[in-house]
Amino acid sequence: MPKNYRFLGKATPRKDALEIVTGKAKYIDDIRPAAMLHGKVLRSPYPHAEIRHIDTARAEALAGVKAVLTYKNVPPWRTGMPKHMPVLDRKVRYVGDAVALVATETLEAAAGALDLIEVEYEKMAAVYDMEAALEPGAPLLHEAFPNNLVSKFPAFGPKTLTKVVRGDVEKGFEDADFISEGTFGYENVANPLPIEPPGVIAQWEDDQRLTVWSGTQSASWHRWIMQSKMGFPDIRAITTQCGGSFGSKNYAPQCLFYAAALARVTGIAVKVYYSKDEHFGAFVLRLGSRFRGRIGIKKDGTVTAVAGSWMVDTGSYSDMTQSQIAVGCGEAQLMLKSENWDLATKVICTNRCASGVIRGFGGQELESALAPILADVMAKADLDPVQFFKKNYVKPGDRYVWREGNHWTCRGKDYSEAMEEGARAFGWKDKWKGWLKPTAVDGAKRIGVGVGIHGNADVGEDDSEAYIRLNADGTATIHASVSESGMGQRSNLCKMAAEVLQLPLEHVHMTPPDTLVNPFDFGLVGSRGTYAVGSAIIGAAEDALQKLFELTAPKLGADPKEMETADGRIFIRDNPDRVISWSKAIGIMHTVTGFGTHKADYSVPNFIILFVEVEVDIGTGALKVCKVLTATDVGQIIDPPSLEGQLYGALGSAGLDTAVFEETIIDRNSGHMLNMNMTDYKWRTFADLPEFENVILETPFPTHRFKAIGVGEVATSPGPGAVLMAASNAVGKHLHHYPLTPNRILEALGRVER
Amino acid sequence: MNRSIGKERKTIALTVNGVSHELEVGNRPFQVAPSHTLAHTLRETLNLTGTKVGCDQGACGSCTVIMDGTPILSCMTLTVECHGREITTIEGLADKRSGKLDPLQQAFVDHTAFQCGFCTPGMIMASKSLLDRNPSADRHTVKEALSGHYCRCISHYQVVDAVMAAAKKEV
Amino acid sequence: MKPFRHFDAESVDEALALLTEYGDKARVTAGGTDLLGVLKSEILPDHPEAVINLKTICGLDGIEADGGGVRIGALARLAAIADAPIVKKYFPALALSAASVGSPELRNMGTIGGNLCQDTRCWYYRYPDKMGGRVPCYRKGQGPCHAIRGDNRYHAVLGGRKCYAVCPSDPAIVLAALEAGVKTVRPAGERTIPLADFYDTMGPVLDPDEIVTEIRIPAPAANAVQRFSKFRLRESIDFAVVSVAVVLEVAEGVCRDARIVLGAVAPVPYRAVAAEDVVRGGPLDERQAGLAAEAALRDARPMSGNAYKIEIAKTLVRRALRLRENFF
Repeated sequence: MPKNYRFLGKATPRKDALEIVTGKAKYIDDIRPAAMLHGKVLRSPYPHAEIRHIDTARAEALAGVKAVLTYKNVPPWRTGMPKHMPVLDRKVRYVGDAVALVATETLEAAAGALDLIEVEYEKMAAVYDMEAALEPGAPLLHEAFPNNLVSKFPAFGPKTLTKVVRGDVEKGFEDADFISEGTFGYENVANPLPIEPPGVIAQWEDDQRLTVWSGTQSASWHRWIMQSKMGFPDIRAITTQCGGSFGSKNYAPQCLFYAAALARVTGIAVKVYYSKDEHFGAFVLRLGSRFRGRIGIKKDGTVTAVAGSWMVDTGSYSDMTQSQIAVGCGEAQLMLKSENWDLATKVICTNRCASGVIRGFGGQELESALAPILADVMAKADLDPVQFFKKNYVKPGDRYVWREGNHWTCRGKDYSEAMEEGARAFGWKDKWKGWLKPTAVDGAKRIGVGVGIHGNADVGEDDSEAYIRLNADGTATIHASVSESGMGQRSNLCKMAAEVLQLPLEHVHMTPPDTLVNPFDFGLVGSRGTYAVGSAIIGAAEDALQKLFELTAPKLGADPKEMETADGRIFIRDNPDRVISWSKAIGIMHTVTGFGTHKADYSVPNFIILFVEVEVDIGTGALKVCKVLTATDVGQIIDPPSLEGQLYGALGSAGLDTAVFEETIIDRNSGHMLNMNMTDYKWRTFADLPEFENVILETPFPTHRFKAIGVGEVATSPGPGAVLMAASNAVGKHLHHYPLTPNRILEALGRVER
Repeated sequence: MNRSIGKERKTIALTVNGVSHELEVGNRPFQVAPSHTLAHTLRETLNLTGTKVGCDQGACGSCTVIMDGTPILSCMTLTVECHGREITTIEGLADKRSGKLDPLQQAFVDHTAFQCGFCTPGMIMASKSLLDRNPSADRHTVKEALSGHYCRCISHYQVVDAVMAAAKKEV
Repeated sequence: MKPFRHFDAESVDEALALLTEYGDKARVTAGGTDLLGVLKSEILPDHPEAVINLKTICGLDGIEADGGGVRIGALARLAAIADAPIVKKYFPALALSAASVGSPELRNMGTIGGNLCQDTRCWYYRYPDKMGGRVPCYRKGQGPCHAIRGDNRYHAVLGGRKCYAVCPSDPAIVLAALEAGVKTVRPAGERTIPLADFYDTMGPVLDPDEIVTEIRIPAPAANAVQRFSKFRLRESIDFAVVSVAVVLEVAEGVCRDARIVLGAVAPVPYRAVAAEDVVRGGPLDERQAGLAAEAALRDARPMSGNAYKIEIAKTLVRRALRLRENFF
């Protein structure tokens, strides 16, 4: 049972709640430097072309225009894995790709200037399908990548995972009772689409010192990663309140390049804030994912072999795709315990807006492509998917290879109980009628249920550092680079520190997310906030407390081991009357500081199972999500509403609904993105809310001070496969395509010819 | 030049959060251009940046403000067409003197009815207008009233709880 | 948005005078929810020099009984129409269609006149200029319709010719079934256009200097049954994938008269005369409904990716004609 804490496990108002509900919270477009120019981008009409001639003279002559940049005069910075994308290139690789940049005093001048730039293009053939892109003679996007195959890249060191090979798959298939094979895709390249478009303000303090404000998720990335792309200037990165990210705004290399390049030539701060059109059409999409291969299992659900090729479409270039491949390969092993693997990967470029970092980070893409083949083989064996998942999800003592290529042994927990509790709460036993069997039929309405799981060993990924300052006035200040993009972690981390320091929550503060005043933190990526960042901050608080007690020892005439603190006073545990205030202990002209750190640890996987009930109208092909239930085990809840919010997030950010209606639609003749607006890009409205329940277990994790882990990253991932399964059961046919539009369902039912 | 009969407005008088503003129409800085939306004027001219622009195409609800008692989309409203109108934005809900939150705002705080918070001002304004007109709205009505509001984090469930907490219970 | 001059018209005459002066360089606005989107995306080759605000014209937003029918001013808000007791009582299908448009805020702003005259939602036509340049097309007078070779999942299955965009209005479908008339005024005078004739492939048949002032709906038959059904991917925001409006006169189980209109399947509200012929004069049972559904879509010619709309339309017609529950 969880311990009864003063703050942890209890709902407390978010520290920024007042700002948010009164409109005072400052997002990037609310930041108003005294002098600032607007940076705007001229975008390509063609999916693939070379700029033969570009004339900016007329644009430069327009009143209010301070700078015009083209591929000819941008700084020599590069992004990508490996570094291959300049600020602007002579080539354009998708409709909407950047051609030129302008910095102007007003937005009106920017629009006018863009219209005055004259460009002559040499059009080139474009390719939109990843396997077509591999064909000999296919249009080539990057000279550096023959056959459009992006090079392997040691994103996580020399042994970075690019494949999963172990055991003997041939023997594994011989041992299998059932084998399914085929090619299945998760290629709707959906958009995580935070409500706020991405934006950056850049200002050069001098030749080598750049200040960057951004509405992004991880302040450190704009310093630590961007430095290496820009010739190592001293970047001070500050993040504002961020209007949603879901990974996509971890960093925004191109927005930052544009703003920084324009700021450099003009000597004035420049803001690049994308329109919603640009957010749709020129920022980041999910990876396109296609699996061709086979899976063998025994009658009892033992997976005997997994073999195949995982092809990943990264769009116009790769920024972090190889990292996502590595994590995806790791996550597949968590989901499918098998002795025999032969999973190869390929990263391929095509002529569309690039893929980027998105909640789910490779694992969602791989597992959603595996879902149909897994469903097929489970159906052949007539296995209950909950039992199959329970049997095959990683358990304590199991070994897996994680993203950096090292073997890890799971020291987490057995999630069977979470699966069972979830199944019980959902009523799985009653609703599951077997494969391709509806739960209920009511006229044209067919009810079906499905289930999916997902897990990630990222709760302790990468490193974090934090300082904490105990102030004589009985307050504490946490120095950590933690942004707020919706998870509430700036508040939750304060709760952890308050719990260690036994201070009222309102007496614990955190410095703004600003790399100038904070130590390194990898940021709120994956599900690492609670475990990795939390451990660093908790460590800092404990370190500070130890120092405080040592400082107090002579004054109280006691051993530090005998001391406790509460509400800014130190006392002797067995004699609470011997007490001294922090003010007296520390002295008003001093502070006590502590330092804490977290080192990467991939031995604790997290987990989520998601059950879904859908209704299919066979007369129209309409798919309605009726009920969603998630179950997980987090060890110790830090803040109930924040945690529930993360789990409800299964319906947002290109998650479950990528099986229902979310997709990026690109015209295969012209390369135009057709649904780059919030009417044609479908998202879940209040009028379409399913019933939603979360089952949250709290089995303590021994490896965290408060026995807690995070689950934010994984919430979106099990949904798509679960919906396919549920809809398949509803209509009595295996459905394979994301999303399940009415068109696809009617086709599957044979009511519409393909 | 102007032979036209219709009125080409030179000034706009409008009230925002109880404060009257007289704005000049024109294309110079600090003037309101005919093409300016109300969202733009609120944010850029009056510096009321609490109103958020999400899609700028009327399809996400984040720019919602209350105009003469009705929730409208400020990104799809021309400021020159707001002469004589009374507008309430998120900055106008809390008590001016005491700073005390409107009960609805307080309910959003109490329920952590937001994640990133960007859609929150629009949600609160639409809900506020609903409760003003229908103080004992039920859950279904609340969802209907918010059905044009986008939230990608999925704060929906907690938002409905918060609005219901602020709604008067049926006697 | 690019700059324009803005005029508040204080009377219909003023609006007409301004339209006469600016000709096709002017745009009128009522709710503005469509026009501002068009102007922001800069989809039109010619940006208007003048925007003429009709909202300042008094008395054009009434919803009033007119004999047994109703007159609705062009400036009446969709929200007001959806909530008006007289509409709900006598024209429930119209109330439903108005309530199905966009979102609550859009309905608070949008007017019936604007809804009928809104520009099409074809995603090629609407492609924003700043994302690589607007897409020239037949509708813009510059080339072919891209939907023919492209992604036409939302385009016409009936009556498309050179342009395959569909009529986006929901109320128009019901008004066509109710045999409403659209009263307009232009310098040459007033006229009333039957809703059935209000659109051609390119949209409303209005002259450049003509504005809608009123919708007139004749009295419904005493025993009329009205239905409106809108199929869309979500319960809010979405335009119709297919919609159907049905007005039946039924007596003693026999259908005396029927008007069946399909929406979002054709460039205009599509009157399914063949289906009406099937049901008129006979009993309304499941078999008749099925035959009517087939007849309604008999002339449909799907494009490469929208045959599913035919199937949905058939289901919608069949269901709209069911007078008993549990038959589909």
